[in-house]
Amino acid sequence: MARFIVRSLISAVLTMLIVSAALFFFLEVGSGDVTVKILGIESTPEQRASYRTQLGLNAPAWQRYLDWLAGSDWRAERAVGLPLVTVRNESTDEAEWWAERDGELVRWTMRDGELYQLTRQADGSSVESPADVAWQEGENGASYFWGVDADNNAVMWMRGAGETVWVRTKAGFRKEGDGPREYIPLRKGLLRFDAGKSLQTGRPVSVTLWPRVRNTLILAGLAFLIVMPLAVFLGVIAGINEGTWIDRVISIGGLALTATPEFVTGIFLILIFGVWWRVFPAVAIFTSPNAIFEKPMLLVLPVMTLTAVELGYVARMTRASMVEVMEAPYIRTAAIKGMPRRRIVMRHALRNALLAPITIIMLHVNWLIGGVVVVEAIFGYPGLGSYIYSAAIFGDPNAVEAAAMLLVIIAVATRLIGDAAYMLLNPRIRYS
Amino acid sequence: MTVAPQTIDVPPSPSRWSRAWDNLSLVFASRIATVGLVIVLLWLVLGIVSLFWTPYPPNSSLFTQNLMPNSTNWLGTDHLGRDILSRLMAGTQVVLLKTRLPGENGWVIPGGVAVWGVIGALFFGSVLGLNAGYRGGWWDQIIMQVLDALVAFPAIVLYLVIITAFEQGDLVVVFAITVTGTPGIARLVRSLALDIKTRDYIRAAETRGESPSYIMFREILPNARGPVLVDATLRVGYAIFAIGTLGFLGIGLPPPDPDWGSMVNDARRFIFVFSWGVIPPSVAIASLVIGLNLFADGMREELGRYQK
Amino acid sequence: MTQPSAPILKVENLAVAYKVRGGEIEAVQNVSFDIHRGDSHGIVGESGCGKSTVAWAIVNFLGANGYVKRGSIKFLGQDLVGKSPEELRRLRGDQIAMVFQDPMQALNPSMRLGDQMKEVLTVHRGISESEAEDRCVDMLQRVYMPDAANVMRRYPHQISGGQQQRVVIAMALLNNPALLIMDEPTTALDVTVEAAVLDLIAELRREFDTAIMYITHNLGVVARVCSQVGVMYAGEMVERASVERIFAQPQHPYTQGLIRCIPTLGEDKASSALYPIPGRVPPPNARPAGCIYAPRCDYAQQRCRDERPALRLLADGVQVRCHFTEEIDPGQWTPPEEVEEMVETVNGQADAATPASTNNGKPILELHDLRKYYPVTGGSLRDVLGLGEKRFVKAVEGATFSVPKGSTLGIVGESGCGKSTLIKTIIGLEDSTSGQARFMSFDITEGLSERNMALIKELQMVFQNPDSTMNPSYTVGQQIGRPMVRFGTVPRSQVRDEVIKLLQSMRLGANYYDRLPRQLSGGEKQRVGIARALASRPDLILCDEPVSALDVSVQAAILNLLLDVQREQNTTMLFIAHDLSVVRFFSDNVAVMYLGQIMEIGPADAIYRPPYHPYTEALLSAVPIPDPTVKQKQIRLEGSVPSAVDPPSGCRFHTRCPRRKLLPDDGAICTRETPPWQEAGDGHRIFCHLPLETLASFDPVVESLATH
Repeated sequence: MARFIVRSLISAVLTMLIVSAALFFFLEVGSGDVTVKILGIESTPEQRASYRTQLGLNAPAWQRYLDWLAGSDWRAERAVGLPLVTVRNESTDEAEWWAERDGELVRWTMRDGELYQLTRQADGSSVESPADVAWQEGENGASYFWGVDADNNAVMWMRGAGETVWVRTKAGFRKEGDGPREYIPLRKGLLRFDAGKSLQTGRPVSVTLWPRVRNTLILAGLAFLIVMPLAVFLGVIAGINEGTWIDRVISIGGLALTATPEFVTGIFLILIFGVWWRVFPAVAIFTSPNAIFEKPMLLVLPVMTLTAVELGYVARMTRASMVEVMEAPYIRTAAIKGMPRRRIVMRHALRNALLAPITIIMLHVNWLIGGVVVVEAIFGYPGLGSYIYSAAIFGDPNAVEAAAMLLVIIAVATRLIGDAAYMLLNPRIRYS
Repeated sequence: MTVAPQTIDVPPSPSRWSRAWDNLSLVFASRIATVGLVIVLLWLVLGIVSLFWTPYPPNSSLFTQNLMPNSTNWLGTDHLGRDILSRLMAGTQVVLLKTRLPGENGWVIPGGVAVWGVIGALFFGSVLGLNAGYRGGWWDQIIMQVLDALVAFPAIVLYLVIITAFEQGDLVVVFAITVTGTPGIARLVRSLALDIKTRDYIRAAETRGESPSYIMFREILPNARGPVLVDATLRVGYAIFAIGTLGFLGIGLPPPDPDWGSMVNDARRFIFVFSWGVIPPSVAIASLVIGLNLFADGMREELGRYQK
Repeated sequence: MTQPSAPILKVENLAVAYKVRGGEIEAVQNVSFDIHRGDSHGIVGESGCGKSTVAWAIVNFLGANGYVKRGSIKFLGQDLVGKSPEELRRLRGDQIAMVFQDPMQALNPSMRLGDQMKEVLTVHRGISESEAEDRCVDMLQRVYMPDAANVMRRYPHQISGGQQQRVVIAMALLNNPALLIMDEPTTALDVTVEAAVLDLIAELRREFDTAIMYITHNLGVVARVCSQVGVMYAGEMVERASVERIFAQPQHPYTQGLIRCIPTLGEDKASSALYPIPGRVPPPNARPAGCIYAPRCDYAQQRCRDERPALRLLADGVQVRCHFTEEIDPGQWTPPEEVEEMVETVNGQADAATPASTNNGKPILELHDLRKYYPVTGGSLRDVLGLGEKRFVKAVEGATFSVPKGSTLGIVGESGCGKSTLIKTIIGLEDSTSGQARFMSFDITEGLSERNMALIKELQMVFQNPDSTMNPSYTVGQQIGRPMVRFGTVPRSQVRDEVIKLLQSMRLGANYYDRLPRQLSGGEKQRVGIARALASRPDLILCDEPVSALDVSVQAAILNLLLDVQREQNTTMLFIAHDLSVVRFFSDNVAVMYLGQIMEIGPADAIYRPPYHPYTEALLSAVPIPDPTVKQKQIRLEGSVPSAVDPPSGCRFHTRCPRRKLLPDDGAICTRETPPWQEAGDGHRIFCHLPLETLASFDPVVESLATH
């Protein structure tokens, strides 16, 4: 049994690694110049080049993959020579990076070619003072200094020679003269729950993502809880009555439900319940983050849509497995032993029949997630699905990567749960 | 309890035709498969006809907007006043009948996006599955690990990622369908190969010193044909499903050719004022997918009976 | 055969039909028999003759499409046909119990054995759980299940096949049923395990006052456990008599033919011949109008073709379905010309090349201390992480022998003894772990990928399972032609002619060239498999149980064919089988394997009489002999075959050896030291610590074998 557990764990970890690398490089290679998307097509090549530097996009791809996965503070610390820490900014709820020197948290900024030190105070504000730093000698006589700037980058300033950079502000794009020469955007990396900034909003992905995750988990969880017992029940009923009209109804009905795309099902449900009968809200309009708790009716149609699609599939899998088990020789043995049919189904068949579909059903959570994306898009439900959808439309790699990784984690986790359940239910593995 | 297999005296040396007829009669032996086939053929015929003729030009706004079905427009008109029936018919083309190549000259290859996507998946899935199943060992470990990672992506997410990475286009959708379909077919082929490779005729081939690729492609693959083709049929259904979904999400096949998914999406915006608009394209997608599913299902059942 | 009491089961004129697409198949028709208390009634017949269908009909388990079309099944006086499902359910498992062929399949894999047994009592008799538990343990002890109380808490996969079958038998006997139906209960078991289970069945028959209906295809088993026998052919019962009568004076031509098909233990190809029954069993929808056996019967006359004979009761209580049984004298039987000719040539060859002369031939294959180990990974966490000790399945250990050109070496042993691994290593499907192996002038210790085509061409194989020996996607001609093309033995333009020639020498017509495997019967597929092996004109053919999956009448034909091939082409053969009678019949030399080790090797006739290895002795005493008059010594092995991962030290057989006690200290030496190879003359070697004189002093297992 240890063999199976270790195997599936190793496989899960490998899967995640492959997926993350695939995601990263795929989007890196494919998405073209993100600066165009952020700055707009009117931006000049000069502006784009400057912005690329600021985003750290000039580093080699493998370097950026490691930064993205495990964080960039490791290498930034080596450059700065001081421990780098994050502090939560109370007003924005975002993390700020500071260098820790002699028990003080400090950053630096350059103005008119002069470097100033910002020291963080207990209340979150900072005090500016002329910087007292040791400039290092570089090639051809220039001296440079690695520090942390006010935008959470580890940066390299050249003494007396501020680089001209284009800074993006709320008001627009501004040219500044005192910029650093090199940037390492500071991030903790995906493994430490930091997915970087969304290019679309400029805010950290992780801040906006969590409420979405919660909403999606509620939606998908509800659908899952409704689908599983119902589908297994229908599947078992159909399976033990193979070939009868009840089996036909469940099988063909299940097939029709599965084969109808979510958006078609959703549209029809909206038409019927939202437009013609007007019993449930047809669109999920979120007035507040807690809207689903205040108006649970918002959930009805999305959950129904998801349920409809999943129900057929799981029921059909269960049915097929039940039919197969009912033809097994040991069921014949039970019948020849004179066991009542009810006992045969409940004690002899059911457990074996549920064994096969369990892993397939758990794998199918992927489908459920796919369905979530569509359902959230139809109903305007603010979940992970609509998040990744809008991020994909915009072409926001950090957001897509983070959301996709989360969805993959959910998929892999459910597969592990499926494997575990299979092992527990199957004595052949449990006692090997 | 089944009846013991009986040796049936078949006339000696059946011709190719009679074998083909045998296979065809397999379809008609199942009522479910027949119904499915009829639905699929109906759409195919409509699509082929639309290549030469549609009631009205599918992309021209010739009529009043949002009309219910009437004697001129049998299925009504859409929000731009285009004939829905014409658009529905033409919508079959991109899925089943033609794939538009990128570039200005508008070249087109026969075979729809769904079909090519599944052919791609069949190709890669078979090659990977055969190698994993027949060679085993590290081949199997590595191939399956990579495919497992692909499977971990929810299909729609994978589509979204691919669409994010590349520009819209028919070939991108073909690529996306191939990528999402490959793991499933590879798994199926692998499990079939694992079974078939235990057969004595594989030992016989090995003891004649046949190369692994001969054994995989000539000895194993032909015997995996039945279940794989059934699965591929199902996958064409899924592909149409996915193309519809992508179209609905506005990231599918590029305009100008009509596409069922985007037709639903367009009509959805007017659902409160003109509910009819969403129905024809929705029904079109659902019926074609269900038809393919029924056909594959019936075939699988017959094939199972046949193989017993 | 008059019985004083009323019969437990009386089947009259039974016909069972299955509804299939486009009509109905009558799988069984006109079957009548009765079984009395204490009787053990055998039903024998080849596959597809409907014998199992009769059993299913009795327990009313014919599936959704089967039903009893005519006739009655009277159980304890009441007709089971037409009873309600609920009434039948109450009878099943209580008054009527059944034991199936494959115990692993018959037991629920996810339920504890105890739960599966107890429910028979709790459901039918309403007995409390704890009392049921006690009774189950008692019953397990009665079927000699070691550690019975513990077995109750185990799952089926945790005990061996023989033990599983004991559980199934115990389960069937729990309610002391009036009728016990056994459907091939030992077919899936190894011969020594089978012998122990058959002993058990015979003992239970005496102890429990139960009527047994015993279904099997194996005439040897029938001779051992049955008192009455019914022979079935193509859905009809053709003869019914006491077991002694059936074997001594078979009345129906089919029964006579069946008995002529099987080699009896001790017969060899030089002194006897097998006579296959020509033709094949007609499918249920194409049965002849007259006597169903007429198309294959040597005595068939016009009346047989026109009129179906009834089951007649002869004066001495024998029932026969034949018009002319009184006129048929089996002693006067002459084989049909074609078979006769073939048998004669085979015998001629055997006379010319006596074992002595073949043994003096130049060895074509020589193995010296050949080993094949497979690495295994354990299940513990240490093993998974690769920290555990490296362990190996020692599948073949120190195989040493040589095979003279033109002779046949038979290899016998029970499943898992390494005989298949041995030939896989020789042919190169596996590479060897250590040791030497030479074929002609080639080194063959490497696997196939290292061998050159000239060598590969010389070693070919015939496989066991006719259903998987041919690729279903290619025609017969393509498959036989492929080796010719591959090895370039025949110019491409002549392949077709050459294949047809081969087909004809396999007694298959040229019209088979374009057939697909699914259009062939099992025997025909096996012939094609042989033709394919011969296509490259190899010098050594390895036969892996080529006849064990075939019906006896077909088996005889295939064996004759192989002998014929050997005679014509002077091919050397390795012949693996688990059936000692077949190996004895077919081979010049025999090697006996146990747990990867060759225990004894030598000329075939020497192996089958003392001195022999204690394991050989046990094997011989376990073989079911199709002759109820033969007296066979009863030597049964205890325990089950140990794991090949950690085989017993010293002599691998010491844990089960019944003769160990003859050595000082109860054979302590056997546990410590590897036995010596003792030469018993004429190339006969025995791997045992016991001195040759002791081994030679054993009584022969079967009387008739000693006198040979």
